[in-house]
Amino acid sequence: MSFVELSHVRKDFTGAIAVEDFNLNAEQGEFISFLGPSGCGKTTTLRMIAGFEQPSAGTITIAGQDMTYVQPNKRKVGMVFQSYALFPNMTAAENIGYGLKVTGKTGSEIKVRVAEMLALIHLEEQHSRYPYQLSGGQQQRVALARALAIHPKVLLLDEPLSALDAKIRVELREEIRRIQQTLGITTIYVTHDQEEALSLSDRVVVMSQGRIEQVGVPFEIYNFPASEFVASFVGQLNLIPVMVVNSAEKLVKLDGHIVQAGRISDKFSHDKPRLAVRPEELRPGHTPGQNNLCGKVESINYLGSIVRVHVELSGLVFSMDMFNETNLAIPKVGDSYNIHFPVDACWLI
Amino acid sequence: MKTKRFGVWAVFWAIGGMLYFFLPMYGTLDFSLRMKRGVLSLMSYQIVLSDPQFLASFRYSATMGIITVIISVLIFLPTTYWIHLKLPKVRPLVEIITILPFIIPTIVYVFGLIRTFGRPPLQLTLTPFKTDILITAGYIVLSMPYMYRAIDVGMRSIDVRSLTEAAQSLGANWLQILLNVIVPNLRIALLSGALICFATVIGELILGDFLVRPALGPYMVQVGRDKAYEPAALAILSYALTWACLGIMQFVSRGNASQQQLTGR
Repeated sequence: MSFVELSHVRKDFTGAIAVEDFNLNAEQGEFISFLGPSGCGKTTTLRMIAGFEQPSAGTITIAGQDMTYVQPNKRKVGMVFQSYALFPNMTAAENIGYGLKVTGKTGSEIKVRVAEMLALIHLEEQHSRYPYQLSGGQQQRVALARALAIHPKVLLLDEPLSALDAKIRVELREEIRRIQQTLGITTIYVTHDQEEALSLSDRVVVMSQGRIEQVGVPFEIYNFPASEFVASFVGQLNLIPVMVVNSAEKLVKLDGHIVQAGRISDKFSHDKPRLAVRPEELRPGHTPGQNNLCGKVESINYLGSIVRVHVELSGLVFSMDMFNETNLAIPKVGDSYNIHFPVDACWLI
Repeated sequence: MKTKRFGVWAVFWAIGGMLYFFLPMYGTLDFSLRMKRGVLSLMSYQIVLSDPQFLASFRYSATMGIITVIISVLIFLPTTYWIHLKLPKVRPLVEIITILPFIIPTIVYVFGLIRTFGRPPLQLTLTPFKTDILITAGYIVLSMPYMYRAIDVGMRSIDVRSLTEAAQSLGANWLQILLNVIVPNLRIALLSGALICFATVIGELILGDFLVRPALGPYMVQVGRDKAYEPAALAILSYALTWACLGIMQFVSRGNASQQQLTGR
């Protein structure tokens, strides 16, 4: 039996379906991310696990117990909120110890546990500070420690890093992962940031419009997306309209060129066939044995470590990503440009 | 040149406003100090403050004020909290209800109380104790706009929902959430509401007069009918009490940086 089980969970809000037929099994110690755009139902699902929303249908089981209709304060589920939700009238130490205090732990037990948590998040010196005296990153760490202090069965995080700047976000997510692995706690993490989801998770649940699009390990989600939505939401993707020449051989026609696809997606559309290939799979030049195309440089974007070149072929535009190396030969806008990509790097959708 | 003219007019209106407000008050203060012919003295204040009737009526009104504040908080705090948390759509209706005491004249209200509770089966006017219950209920209704608004404004300044859910996720029940999380973050709002409520009860006249209770308002009217200098002294004391309440509110609200709510947004 899985540690956290959601079975046919549905949530309606006066006519609008927020979550539909949601099924998930999470094992003990697993880190699972719910990834999707705003309004896809990921936070609603998380809140149902926490007990703040009641499912319209289905069941939620945690550690073998049916929690579907159990009050949130009886579930022993630690939650970290997007807004931190630290109690302004309490110091960092008091915030962390609050869950232990309300459940009747003794003063000495609380003191020991709070000290452990402060050491875990490296904020021993800030124990007596109030939330308004802490930085955003420090507040989020206190919120995490507060959720962990009560020895929760499951840790839930609702976009905990979205309010922080990029550098702090990277530091903190690594710390979250480190803590989660140290404690071995089953964790469900909601985010709209694919980089967070892919770097933190054992498995990723990609959601759209209240439904699960795909569940899989990060490698699978990125390299073998099950649908166009997953393919275009997770990472960048070239989706080019093509004409099928031979479906058995996976041959298509693109701007007069014959292109060989590596596979055909399960959700392949015969009416609107398109070729999917990631920008980082494209390379400049011509290589025998691969798919070779020739176009014109339309525009170039410098993205820091990545240079994105847009190559136009009879109205169709390919995005190609290259590492911004010192000896990189960057073309000029308007140049005629050859690109190639391996057969198994592309698929029909 | 334009900036100078604007500054002159601002000073003119400021001085004019202050004179309009403070001159009558100065006149009252001066009059209250002239009970002894030819000298300024505090005789009228001494007479008022040593009058056993004044002390009794002040004690009565202060007690009623404290009881009114406590019951008002016990009613309006959980109500406003629940509205914020679970029933936000009901808020417009509740706001209309809470301004009814401004719309319905107190004289109409007290006559309604006497008609309803002056005879069986709900007769509450036969004994002083039962009449005190009736007058307390009346004070609660009269101070309802102030107490509700103070708490409502306080709740709007904190993220009630997130704080509640955070406390719930940690295992707290409703009472623990209210006492440990909500009330400490509403201290200033509660104090504001309590002080305005208290000041309203202290200065209230009609309920005390018609329900024949020894409140401070009817005492002040009676003194005003029979005496000259003592009513002026009472008026100044009443102003001083109100300003003391406002001063306490200002002092407490200034000193609490730790009450600031940060949401990370």
